[in-house]
Amino acid sequence: MGTPSVLWNVAKKCFTVGVISLTVSDLFSSIVPVRGASMSPTFNPKTNSLLESLSDDRVLVEKLCLSNYKFSHGDVIVFCSPDNHKEKHIKRIVGLPGDWVGTIYDVVHIPEGHCWVEGDNLASSLDSRSFGPVPLGLVKGRVTHILWPPNRVSSIERKTSRNRVSPS
Amino acid sequence: MLPTLNITGDVVLVEHLSHRIGKLGSGDLVLVRSPLDPNRTLTKRIVAMEGDRVTFSLDPTRSFSSRSLVVPKGHVWIQGDNLYVSRDSRHFGPLPYGLIEGKVFMRVWPPNSFGLLG
Repeated sequence: MGTPSVLWNVAKKCFTVGVISLTVSDLFSSIVPVRGASMSPTFNPKTNSLLESLSDDRVLVEKLCLSNYKFSHGDVIVFCSPDNHKEKHIKRIVGLPGDWVGTIYDVVHIPEGHCWVEGDNLASSLDSRSFGPVPLGLVKGRVTHILWPPNRVSSIERKTSRNRVSPS
Repeated sequence: MLPTLNITGDVVLVEHLSHRIGKLGSGDLVLVRSPLDPNRTLTKRIVAMEGDRVTFSLDPTRSFSSRSLVVPKGHVWIQGDNLYVSRDSRHFGPLPYGLIEGKVFMRVWPPNSFGLLG
């Protein structure tokens, strides 16, 4: 009867919704699950690192900061891993270009265009202490809010450790 | 990037699919985000992929000062075609693969050098 045209209308609407949501997700903000315990207690305070579960935190990542790559100390960012571009990590910015950051063994100068990231849970976090400063071009967004689970919905605050970082 | 590209005024076509499906190799012209300034994009050529050994000299006018290293996992080695004035991996080190934005495959302007590149 009119079934082909109904299907066509549904297909058109799905395509439009798909294109719009892809654009919003690429340019404005998207929702991302957090895996692992490297950012405890900020994200995933109860660790269950073996199973990908519904209890993982879901966070809102905003991409408007990518227009000029201006970040502040204490921002939580999503970035591509320097060792494997298919993996993304979520860590906190501890050092910005020009800063001197103290690690256990020595003091590192952050070069131009790079940042120093560390997880909040230093005991189990793979971060700049292992792979060095991260180029800012690898940053894919900044985390602003936790959206899931509902009892932990909140906005992310900037936490800085002034005793280890000497600004330029 | 002389002599491949002119100093200014060239318009090229860049495709954004090859780097996502892992079809980039040495010899490709790529558009990358600069590791020294995330607001700038550079056009360079991939000289070596991860795992390759690259030998280079920081000062091409003195051929006897050369260094050699292996490109680490997840990185590529890029160089400009004009080694004398290019700032590339010889200065800032291997480039993480995630900074690659696209592959240059064709020049459309100026019209007398219209054609495939690379």
